[in-house]
Amino acid sequence: MALGSYTGKGARPVRNAPTRVLLHAIAILLAAAYLVPLAVVLLNSVRSAEEIAQTSMIGWPLAWAWGNYATAWSDFCIAQTCTGIQPYMLNSALVTVPATILSTLLGAVAGYAISLWRFPGHAWIFGLVTLGVFLPEQMRLIPWTIVLRDVGLSNTLTGLVAIHTIQGLSFTTLFCRNYYLSIPQDLIKAAKIDGAGFFRIFARIVLPLSPPILIVSTIWQFTGIWNEFLYGVTFTTGTQQPITAALIALTAAVADAPQYGVQSAAVVLAALPTLLVYLFGGRYFVRGLTAGAVK
Amino acid sequence: MRRIAEYVTIWVPLLLSAGHVVLFTAWTTWMSFTPSTLMPVSGWVGWRNYTAVLGTRNWSIAFDNLLLFGAGFVVLTALTGLGLAILLDQRIRGENVLRSVFLYPMAVSFVVTGTVWSWLLNPGMGVQKLVNGWGWTGFRFDWLIDRDMAIWTVVIAGIWQASGFAMALFLAGLRSVEGDLIKAAQIDGAGPIRLYTRVILPSLWPIAVAVFVILLQFAIKTFDLVRALTGGGPGLATQLPALVVYDFMFQRGHIGRGSAAAVLMLLTLLGVLLPYGAWKLYRQRRAARA
Amino acid sequence: MTSIHRRTVLAGTAALLGTAARAQGVKPRLTAISQWSAGSDGAAITALGKKFEERGGVWQHSPVPGFTTDMMNKLRAQIMAGDPPACSQLKGPEIAAWSKIAPTVDLSETVAAAGYEKVVSPDLARLHKPGGKWAALPLQVYRTNAVYLSKRAMDKAKADKIPVTWDDFNVLAEKMKAGGVANPIANGGTRPDDGQKFEAALVGISPAAYRAAIMNLDAKALNGPEIKAAFAQTRKIADWMDPNTAAQHFSTNLARFIAGDMGIMIQGGWAQGVLLNAGFKLDDFIIAPGPTNNGKPVFLLNADAFIFWQRKEPDLIAGQKLMAELVMDPAIQTMYSQITGSIPVRSDVDLSGPGWSDGQRETASTLKGAIAANQAVLSLAHNMAQENGMTAAMIDVITEFVKNSKITPEQATTRLAEAVEGAR
Repeated sequence: MALGSYTGKGARPVRNAPTRVLLHAIAILLAAAYLVPLAVVLLNSVRSAEEIAQTSMIGWPLAWAWGNYATAWSDFCIAQTCTGIQPYMLNSALVTVPATILSTLLGAVAGYAISLWRFPGHAWIFGLVTLGVFLPEQMRLIPWTIVLRDVGLSNTLTGLVAIHTIQGLSFTTLFCRNYYLSIPQDLIKAAKIDGAGFFRIFARIVLPLSPPILIVSTIWQFTGIWNEFLYGVTFTTGTQQPITAALIALTAAVADAPQYGVQSAAVVLAALPTLLVYLFGGRYFVRGLTAGAVK
Repeated sequence: MRRIAEYVTIWVPLLLSAGHVVLFTAWTTWMSFTPSTLMPVSGWVGWRNYTAVLGTRNWSIAFDNLLLFGAGFVVLTALTGLGLAILLDQRIRGENVLRSVFLYPMAVSFVVTGTVWSWLLNPGMGVQKLVNGWGWTGFRFDWLIDRDMAIWTVVIAGIWQASGFAMALFLAGLRSVEGDLIKAAQIDGAGPIRLYTRVILPSLWPIAVAVFVILLQFAIKTFDLVRALTGGGPGLATQLPALVVYDFMFQRGHIGRGSAAAVLMLLTLLGVLLPYGAWKLYRQRRAARA
Repeated sequence: MTSIHRRTVLAGTAALLGTAARAQGVKPRLTAISQWSAGSDGAAITALGKKFEERGGVWQHSPVPGFTTDMMNKLRAQIMAGDPPACSQLKGPEIAAWSKIAPTVDLSETVAAAGYEKVVSPDLARLHKPGGKWAALPLQVYRTNAVYLSKRAMDKAKADKIPVTWDDFNVLAEKMKAGGVANPIANGGTRPDDGQKFEAALVGISPAAYRAAIMNLDAKALNGPEIKAAFAQTRKIADWMDPNTAAQHFSTNLARFIAGDMGIMIQGGWAQGVLLNAGFKLDDFIIAPGPTNNGKPVFLLNADAFIFWQRKEPDLIAGQKLMAELVMDPAIQTMYSQITGSIPVRSDVDLSGPGWSDGQRETASTLKGAIAANQAVLSLAHNMAQENGMTAAMIDVITEFVKNSKITPEQATTRLAEAVEGAR
């Protein structure tokens, strides 16, 4: 039984022309609706703080304040550090990239072991791991503080990577396990008869089938960790802080009005890495299962 | 040697992950019986933290909201996501672009998107003002300031944010449906609707479970979005358990009560998950007998 | 948690030993955390850091952007890791609460040497010396019950008199309404915003009741007629507000306030800076003291402060001493307040110079008058009157009252008293 016989470009059951036009119209309308908040952010990113204060939070720029981008990127100050968001982007990358890769790969192996090897106790351990997705960050904050202190990783990016990897495993394991359930057991059995071991089957059979779910998992982890704020500000210090801290710094001022103009520009810049993950990941996604088909 | 490598690769990550869940939950439960305020301390106060939390309006409002919001958000987002996935699976032109458009809400910091929604849904500056400006002056869309409806504004923003991800999971599922099955059904003369309801959707079940779990955890953990969108208001109308937990633990400086709220929240969750687990077990047993 | 205690006790002992090292001339260093990251707050603390460096110190300030709770989470994590900052931003009764969980520096000697206690209002001083020992130093003072009048709204109401009592205030608001001002009150919709409306009402109706009910949590006062009257006044204010504001920051409505679509803003002293930064002019609005029914000035105090945590490193100990001296220095307080728009903590700073605005001068003189009349009290909405747990429980009641016109002042009074009992 081969998965590869399906061409993977959608079932394409709807064929008649008027319906197809209607479907496209719906898709475009929905897309437009989804884009409205982005449009607000983009427009604000080229409006000055004064203009926003004197008109409305939502509006067409009267004078195009392109300078917001330069300010956001390299100029604005968080207290005495006037570097814009650049260094914070790097900090976030240093946490997000390793934590995403580690948690996705380990989650794939774990999901594979649970779904296709069914070792004793797999249901229990999967249940507990899955329960992890429900624990709110707020509840885990103090326990993590204690753990970081005891292993000597307080105020380090390594500590943050470890936290996000361990917490992320809940999600990645869940994604991969449920996805791998659709791989026929016969395939694994046949490979075992041929003498292939745990890793060999994973590398030769499971991994080539995995791009869609690995992409989903990567998107989830990357965006989740990139946008995380609570641990980011609590477990780092000063110039180690992640990008979210820099974004918040622009609006949560105590004695000032929020700086929505520069913040919006910073938001756009800060969202570029996550958007790139989608664009590059998306291609594999379309290819679906056909590329890695097992003949 | 290879066996050891196998065991290490399988068990170390799983034990770390499952271990932190068990330990952190146990620790929080312990804390909920201690007099901890600004710092965790040992001691025993019995159920006092629980009675204190259960006695607040914050908790009772948050609990009602969780049921309403949880059900509304999970169901509507899953349906939206499934709809988008099926739509994109029709060989729509520009699928790449559309997929990115539906997914991007996940890419932008939640704190920021919550703020933008607080403008769009604000009757004084958002959608209502726009439509009123078009000449339809009687148009009202003021859920944000309506105590009874405000929680649904969180649902709207939540759907916008999470439906793309549900779509991605469903799309991955749709594209892993075995071609043979579809061909066989088509040869049998199944029309598009029957093809979906009889062949494709049933095979999406494991993915749908993953989607539900993801959306349920979203619902339970919704925090930044509410804080930015409604601030928990008007009044206390959009309180959710995650906000109450954070509020008691950190804002009000009462770790004991915050932990009690967290335990209550997890118990509520178990109230949903246990019946599901029992049902699954029942089905498995029946399948095994058959 | 025993390990923390042991560690901090060790640190305490070492701190005593460290005093000797200071004499040998180490370079003072200060690790500080605060939430002051941007805008005038960020500029002010950065200027303070420059002064610290000018005096030969090493300034290591780590801002924690976000809400105050985020900063406190950071502080907690640092204390738990046995590595508290040399000083951190903290205010009000939280100073006493936090000083119980980790040893603080006893600043009493330094404060005495500077003769500081004489020039700080007694209520404020009390907050910063838990157990009689100075552990924290206030840095700047804000008034939370300032009244901002829109000049254009005044024109529409054909009014030119600044309201003194709440009756005057209500008459003015009615006149504005009649004159075509859409919303006589320009409001924000956050919890502190709602809280400020109520506390301004109560302190104007009876400062004595405010002290008894809000600051001392006297059960009888909490059920007293003044509380009901304050809720009734808050209802009037709420009815004049724009409900569409939802949970927005007050700055959202500044343009409408200046244009005269909104009339009166009850805000903290910081609103002046926000207005000027938004490009509006001092001629566009009038700043006045909060309404007071007995004619004597009332002042709701809000003060930012630094708490000093015990460290054993000689350079940090030297840095703490230098920081304490700087914070108490009239020149430094002048510099700081001129950047943020607050007023100095010291009552002996001369505000006649060119760097001060009329609003700041009026604020300072109102404070003096209020202290003399024993009518300067601590703000509830800005966490000065009670610990955060109690404050939040009380604000819950107030914000629900403001956002729900079906709750009567009587019901709100009962709920407030119940909330206080529940949070005790």
